[in-house]
Amino acid sequence: MLLIKLATKSLLNRKASALLTLFTIAISVMLLMSIERVRVDAKSSFSNTISGTDLIVGARTGDIQLLLSSVFRIGHANNGVSWKSYQFISEQRGVKWAIPMSLGDSHKGLAVLGTNKDYFEHYRFAKKQPLSFLQGHEFNHLFEVVLGAEVANTLGYQLGDEVVIAHGMGNTSFHNHDDNPFKVVGILKPTGTPVDKTLHIPLAAIDAIHGSHAHQHEPAQADANDHDHDHDHDHDQHDDVDLVGTPKQITAFLLGFDSPLYTLQVRRNINQYKDEALLAIMPGVTLRELWEMLSIVEKILLLFSIVVVLISLLGMLTSLLSSLNQRRRELAILRSVGARPWHIFTLISVESLLITGLGCIVGTALFYALMLLGADYLQSHAGISLNIALLSSYELMLLAAIMVAGFIVGLIPATRAYFYSLADGMSIKI
Amino acid sequence: MITLENVLFKWHAKQPEPTINIPELDIDQGEHVFLHGPSGCGKSTLLSLLAGVTVPTQGNIVLLGKAINQLSNSKRDRFRADHIGYIFQNFNLLPYLSPIENVTLGCQFSKQRQNNALKNSATIAAEASRLLTALGLNDALQHQAVAQLSIGQQQRVAAARAFIGSPEIIIADEPTSALDTQNRQAFVKLLFEQASAANSTLIFVSHDETLQTLFTRSISLVELQGGTDATH
Repeated sequence: MLLIKLATKSLLNRKASALLTLFTIAISVMLLMSIERVRVDAKSSFSNTISGTDLIVGARTGDIQLLLSSVFRIGHANNGVSWKSYQFISEQRGVKWAIPMSLGDSHKGLAVLGTNKDYFEHYRFAKKQPLSFLQGHEFNHLFEVVLGAEVANTLGYQLGDEVVIAHGMGNTSFHNHDDNPFKVVGILKPTGTPVDKTLHIPLAAIDAIHGSHAHQHEPAQADANDHDHDHDHDHDQHDDVDLVGTPKQITAFLLGFDSPLYTLQVRRNINQYKDEALLAIMPGVTLRELWEMLSIVEKILLLFSIVVVLISLLGMLTSLLSSLNQRRRELAILRSVGARPWHIFTLISVESLLITGLGCIVGTALFYALMLLGADYLQSHAGISLNIALLSSYELMLLAAIMVAGFIVGLIPATRAYFYSLADGMSIKI
Repeated sequence: MITLENVLFKWHAKQPEPTINIPELDIDQGEHVFLHGPSGCGKSTLLSLLAGVTVPTQGNIVLLGKAINQLSNSKRDRFRADHIGYIFQNFNLLPYLSPIENVTLGCQFSKQRQNNALKNSATIAAEASRLLTALGLNDALQHQAVAQLSIGQQQRVAAARAFIGSPEIIIADEPTSALDTQNRQAFVKLLFEQASAANSTLIFVSHDETLQTLFTRSISLVELQGGTDATH
């Protein structure tokens, strides 16, 4: 207790340098914790993007490319799947549900997905959580749209608002069909996945906005080729018609089976499908492959933050060592009142532990402050939902590791002080 | 009480002349001894030997009936904590402790001195305050920051730290060298008062021979060293 009191008062006496050292450690702790939290949460929100889907089927391309285009809305599929193939495969034995997906159109830079009502029923994210509505309901008519949580949030849309959907990707599309407004009938609860950034419309409406009921166009394609649009088309007649229609092509489709046993068999059949070059992927497996590709970045980030922590501890070592020479008199006074060399050793060790410990506490506080400030930004810009929870056992372990490292670094000046106090004795040379 | 027999000390084995070579020295309990000699004659080394921080190369140093050179390092540290009060030349105090805390530090590494202190006062802080008052530091000064005290006041705090818990031996290493002549005499008299009150043996080292007359006994280190010049 006496030594802790002495160490504290001695540190307070050297406030400026002690605080600076403490602050350096705090910042490095904050950095390490933030990087780790973002990394872990990115990984989980990444693998939480889709679940409960057994297969994703699209035109033949790379596994990862198909995953990116169908689930993450990144890049776009060059080819689609013909409606015929979709219908054939969805009628196979064991198929419980099939959700067609038609991507390629956008609204103010946000993806528009043409699909059927099964989407709201069977699509799952995270731990098999279904989509649920914050307000309203699924679409029942052709020109109705269901918004992802973020779409409604950032664009300020409410139920009953009318939304214009453009053909093609990007903010400035070639065609803005002001005469084809969609009515907002539902807003989904936030999921922390790309669903939040998506506008869902009936599959048949994709055809409608391209004005191609005669099937002479390729409506679901992502490219922005100039189409011969029929603007005078009267779409009221479709309001009570089926919402799927018979498009020529869709971008991809999701399959769910009665039993997972069908998955591998159907997958093999699809990959060997004669009539069209198709690819079926298991989302879980491909997500893992994708994450492994990204793991080098992840490891470099971790490495950097560890190096920052080490540098901050070396900073502490420097400041403790340089103060030691000025403190030889202090140590000799302690020796004269009967402090043994190991008391001196403990005193300096306690100092380094105090600095590291306080650094960890302040760093953790800064970390939470940063998380609170940055959570919204990360959610809206990177789609990573941060979990502002208590420290996980992994994070506590990180803090413990920093404490141990701080203690070990502190042994160096402590040992030095030990030998000073043996050599100096009662004669202090300054 | 304090006995040195054939004490020889060399900093390293190949040193041709020993730094300390004292065939014999006896100091009785309660004596106030003035130890003087020119600088470089080995005063500091002798004090380190007496305080048990360094051990002689040869010979015995017997304090209170114990040959401290035969004790283990940690036992010597404990012996010093229990039985010796030490006053440095200057900069005696820890700047980050109050005067009271500096004084109580003197008995915090020794149960025995704590118990001795508690015989006089209810708490060790009260005993520290009593000693400081006896040495002429009023209440207000006792709680001031150490840096705001004058050198003379600081030396009195150092003296109180040496005296707290009534150690048998007080070693003062040129404690008056930073004081002016008038303050020196006053300070030495205060040391005498306290040493007598606790029946402590006082070993006072100085090269200022004007103080010599105040002491009952005076020892020249040069003569003690068997006439050999130990300067190196």
